[in-house]
Amino acid sequence: MNSNWLEKNTFHYSEFKDINRLVEEKERKKIKISLCLPTLNEEKTIAKEIIIMKSELMSRYPLLDEIVVIDSGSSDRTMEIASSYGADVYKADDILPKLEKFKGKGENLWKALYITKGDIIVYLDADIKNIHHRFVYALVGPLLLFDNIKYSKGFYDRPIAKGKKKLRPTGGGRVTELVIRPLFSLFFPELTQIIQPLSGEYAGYRELFEKIPFPIGYGIETSIILDTYEKWGLDVIAQVDLERRVHRNQDTKSLGKMSFVILKTFCKRLAKLGLAELKSDVFNEMIQYKLGKDGYLPDIYIDKSFERPPIIEISEYREKYKKTAWVADE
Amino acid sequence: MEKYLDKLPSYVETIKLIKETIIANIVFIGQIPAPTFKEKRRANFFMERLVEFQVDECTTDGYRNPIGIIRGTSPLKPPVFVVAHLDTIFKKDIDHNYTVKKKTITGAGVLDNSLGVGILASLPLIFRKLNLRFESDIVLAGVIQSLGRGNLRGIRHLLKTWDTPIRGAICLEGVELGRLNYYSEGMIRCEVECDISLILGPLQKFKSNAILILNEVINQILELRLPQRPRSRVIIGKISGGFKHGTIASKAKLGFEIQSNSDKMVKSIYNDINDIIEDISHQNEIEMKLKTISNLSAASIKYNHPLVKNAGAVIESLGIKPICEPSESELSIFLSHKIPAVTLGITQGENIHLEKAMMEIEPMYKGIAQIVGAIMAIDGGVCDE
Repeated sequence: MNSNWLEKNTFHYSEFKDINRLVEEKERKKIKISLCLPTLNEEKTIAKEIIIMKSELMSRYPLLDEIVVIDSGSSDRTMEIASSYGADVYKADDILPKLEKFKGKGENLWKALYITKGDIIVYLDADIKNIHHRFVYALVGPLLLFDNIKYSKGFYDRPIAKGKKKLRPTGGGRVTELVIRPLFSLFFPELTQIIQPLSGEYAGYRELFEKIPFPIGYGIETSIILDTYEKWGLDVIAQVDLERRVHRNQDTKSLGKMSFVILKTFCKRLAKLGLAELKSDVFNEMIQYKLGKDGYLPDIYIDKSFERPPIIEISEYREKYKKTAWVADE
Repeated sequence: MEKYLDKLPSYVETIKLIKETIIANIVFIGQIPAPTFKEKRRANFFMERLVEFQVDECTTDGYRNPIGIIRGTSPLKPPVFVVAHLDTIFKKDIDHNYTVKKKTITGAGVLDNSLGVGILASLPLIFRKLNLRFESDIVLAGVIQSLGRGNLRGIRHLLKTWDTPIRGAICLEGVELGRLNYYSEGMIRCEVECDISLILGPLQKFKSNAILILNEVINQILELRLPQRPRSRVIIGKISGGFKHGTIASKAKLGFEIQSNSDKMVKSIYNDINDIIEDISHQNEIEMKLKTISNLSAASIKYNHPLVKNAGAVIESLGIKPICEPSESELSIFLSHKIPAVTLGITQGENIHLEKAMMEIEPMYKGIAQIVGAIMAIDGGVCDE
């Protein structure tokens, strides 16, 4: 086990506070950086993320070249607000329209690869209440300053907004500790060194993202880690302490659905790698129960575990980015 | 005067070009809790921003008020001060994360006074964007310990220890756009605490009641004959006490302010109220004391002072009607040092002292242009009598 990875590839955001240095390195390498915010009804937080990133990392320091919002079909004013503050806003369904349409965060991130111009793409969840530009420059920092790093991932304290008034100082990360970490410990002990594998804040080179499949839903964070690890090893991954992130709390039932999808993604990869064998196909339904007037009623969530292929396999993408066909097993 | 007044409407559009940075400053500052006496983190951040926006000097005074200085072109001209208080009424542990929407920003303290401090921090960038240089040094001061028990200590200290003349000053407050304060009333802010827990005892159900005693204090204050000239009033602002519905209240507290445009009258009313409290204490065989939390002297410049006239013209040039009322803010300390000063409001909003305080974004740009106009007026010599 590569047990010194934690020490070697773990950074603190303050190590990348010198944004001028990052801009110099970006210019020296002649690369572009895109920020992608996947959204679904984020009208309360989206404006602040765009404003702060535009102010600090576009107007004041030219670190970012574009901010792109990919929306899954918000019913609130997310798209209107994002557009009013100058982000490039797209409906996920309008991108690569000839393909079958899906809804999910992974779908938005995958389609962002087609829309964005950047050599580096930064993905941030759009529900961060205490957004700060460190969330971007700290993820970009290792990619620009260390040639071996191709993918960087954030971790943080996770106070949860509790009701309207108080902040609960600890908490969150339940799916990580109850699902992901036990699985990593069983099958990929090296990956336990990743402190928050499910964090929604990460950045990487296009050349990495374009060569891996993207599950359309919750499984995206797990799959990126597993696929990157399998293809390029742990040393291309870095993790950065972003210190503190305040986000919406999710109830246990929602986390159950998330865990279900993550487990399926995990099982699929275990089978592919020959680490485990399932005797029959697993089911697509997550069954939870709620108490109704006539007793307990099933509350069924269906996940078909659809995954987008590596986008480099899509001809429109290759055409747009002048890429040659890529063989998955090269 | 007309020369710069004509430019102000076009400034509004130029200021909008950096709206992201202005809003980011308001949000960054407002999201750092800063209850009175605990403003250190906000003060440090304010200083960091001033440094990043390249003011010529950045420092703190002996009382830890953070200050940035933009050097002027004429070393002979005294400086112009622009100030905003850093502290808020909100405790540290409430949610300080702001929500920005298309037209509004919502969050604790946004109107009082993260908006003012955010604009103060943005001024160096705004001046550069507008291509403005001034003869005077512009001193940008975020002052601490302003509200309530802070009793304006930050600004008092800053002016007490500033050893050169000051040309004029502008105090920034979040609301309301059009606000033009140029005088402050004399004021004593008081508290009376009634604690009869020692004489009440647990089983005495039909004895004195702290709330009723304070009620008697209020009744007698209301019976005071207050003069219309000098204009005077007592504002009963806060009351608290008791434990539960069926238990006689053994503790209660009353907070009020005596306000008048005559310091002498304030003192006289204070003495009258003190007599009331001593009398009621004696009758009820309790010890009840009148405590002074803070005080201000009445101070003013005249309505026809060139600063007031020019600030009014600046506001009107942007299509806003000036509203003149007294202010108890930093203004009174400038005026008591004989420094011409005004307080300006920056935008419209609501729920000023609630956690869901909300400011409107669009009017803010005119609010900023008016601040620039007022600085230009002072720099042009309206305070140089």
